Amino acid sequence: MSLKDFLEGFKKGQVFFGESIAFLINTVLLTIVYFVGVGLTSIIAKIFGKGFIDMKTDPQTGSYWKELNLDKKPIQYYYRQF
Amino acid sequence: MYILGVSCFYHDSSASLIKDGIVVAAAQEERFSRKKHDISFPIKAIDYCLKSQNIKIDQIDYIAFYEKPVLKFERVLYQHLQSFPKSYKTFLQYLPSWTNEKLRIVKIIRKKTKYKGDVLFVDHHMAHASSFLISPYKKAAILTVDGVGEWTTTAYGVGENRSIKLLKEIHFPHSLGLLYSTITAYLGFSVNNSEYKVMGLSAYGNMDRKTNQYYNRLKEIIDIKEDGSFRFNMDYFVYHYLDKMPSKKLCDLLEGKIRKPDEELTQRHKDIAAAVQLITEEAVTKILNHLHKSTKCDNLVISGGVGLNSVYNGKILRNTHFKGVWLQPDPGDGGTSLSAAMYVYNTILGKERKYILKDVYLGPEFSNKEIQEFLDKNGIKYNKFKDKKSLVKHTAQLIFKNNVVGWFQGRMEWGPRALGARSILSNPCNKDMKEILNLKVKHREKFRPFAPVVCIEDANKYFDCNKPIPEAADFMLMVYPIKEQYHKKIPAVTHVDGSGRLQTVRGDQNKLYYNLIKEFGRLSGIPVLINTSFNIRGEPIVCSPHDAYKCMMGTGIDYLVIGDFLIKRENNTKDIWDSEKTAKD
Repeated sequence: MSLKDFLEGFKKGQVFFGESIAFLINTVLLTIVYFVGVGLTSIIAKIFGKGFIDMKTDPQTGSYWKELNLDKKPIQYYYRQF
Repeated sequence: MYILGVSCFYHDSSASLIKDGIVVAAAQEERFSRKKHDISFPIKAIDYCLKSQNIKIDQIDYIAFYEKPVLKFERVLYQHLQSFPKSYKTFLQYLPSWTNEKLRIVKIIRKKTKYKGDVLFVDHHMAHASSFLISPYKKAAILTVDGVGEWTTTAYGVGENRSIKLLKEIHFPHSLGLLYSTITAYLGFSVNNSEYKVMGLSAYGNMDRKTNQYYNRLKEIIDIKEDGSFRFNMDYFVYHYLDKMPSKKLCDLLEGKIRKPDEELTQRHKDIAAAVQLITEEAVTKILNHLHKSTKCDNLVISGGVGLNSVYNGKILRNTHFKGVWLQPDPGDGGTSLSAAMYVYNTILGKERKYILKDVYLGPEFSNKEIQEFLDKNGIKYNKFKDKKSLVKHTAQLIFKNNVVGWFQGRMEWGPRALGARSILSNPCNKDMKEILNLKVKHREKFRPFAPVVCIEDANKYFDCNKPIPEAADFMLMVYPIKEQYHKKIPAVTHVDGSGRLQTVRGDQNKLYYNLIKEFGRLSGIPVLINTSFNIRGEPIVCSPHDAYKCMMGTGIDYLVIGDFLIKRENNTKDIWDSEKTAKD
């Protein structure tokens, strides 16, 4: 095995190791965020009857259209990502 | 003034460049990266746009982005809050892409392009609606329908001169686009890719509302009001918290499991495809009638992925009170880079509208010199036509003699369709041509039709089109009935229900292509050709001479007409390979 092959293999191994660690840390962190952040908020909201998405149909209503009234805004609006 | 439009990270990334309000270049990233429906940052498409005008990134005045990422992230977060704990898997799967790229778009733009100027964010459905700005209309009603943008899945409004006002909307998770995708997934096809297959399959199903039991079952879970607004019973869907779409309950409703891709298509599958087509048509027709009543506009612009439903598009003027309809060549998300850039120029900056999109030839082109260099460098045997007249005559004869011809001419098309710049052409009068094309090149499912192309002035002779024929037919976005007396004369493009997804061609759009169709008409008596996309199955449409030659040699295309050169596959046997060994869906 030449030095070049060894270095290439070493580099690949490092990348694999780095990705595996990143995956592990991501999974642990995201799991904590999901169950603590998202979970608690969701449970508390549900206790107080708050829904986040309009899921239900309503046979009594005449229309499901929501008001939007979106037209040209001041240019600052378009610099924002929200 | 240069404005660069960018769309990416969801599906069909693209870049478009406008110069002083005129579109000068536009292309999808997939054509360069060779990854179908590429979602990555469109750096190659951007490079092409800049090179086409011989400019550098610091000459760009604004970059227009096709959505507001934080608003979209808010919706994603709310989905998880609503669905906790069922969304755990998708949270782990997709959240890193938000933190790594989708919420860091400005940084990514600056890092990848070295751009230092302003980035403007246009709401997703406003970006779709801005197709109005490149339409021929001064005033029009606008409908946008897609899977989902930030929160909106459907919106309508009015465009007048440089301004657009979106009046009403429907929010996620209720979405006609996602309904169609759910049934696409249920029928064993790939989502965000094969919805058009379901549309083609629907013609084999029962299109009678009274007797199609699956239509009636789906109607029970979708509440469509008289004004076209709708909501779904979400117990039948899981796309709001999983990375699949139909729920177990939907499978029970449709009397069977999700079809496996290699499983045989039964009449039940065909009836389900017909059912979702019928529901989509019913909902959109009601919306359009409401829209016409609310806006009193006679002209209509449709945008969003549902605008690719060419079967329905062909029925709009017959089913509603609208007198004109227009769609841009790429009504889906890929097209929003172009329309968002126009919105920045015309609406945000208030500049005059001076451009109507009349043809799709906005992509890269290759000169005869470049093509010849490629051919010589690779030892490819070829002949050169002495002039365009002989090119047209000889190519028409090849097609008339039932050869399959790759046609690579001029600038590549903008949008998902091959429209006479990167097309495979063949003889529609031969009843076996569908099988020949499938055997040699396309290897498609048998139920899928091939599309006809006809010169605009001949269209009404062979097809039962609206009069005048909408410009959207130039972009292959309208399906019309083929007149009954021609069903047997052009059998290779006549679908099972007698329809054809035609492309109309005007002389001022693509003279060479137009002349070729006319010349074929002189030989066959019928000036109609088969036009199908120039690609290997599962790959994007070819972009460069290399892609075109590779495609011809890997498939069974007999001849390639590229610039002024003619290449015969049989003369280059050293390069023959089998594309089917690596082809994907």
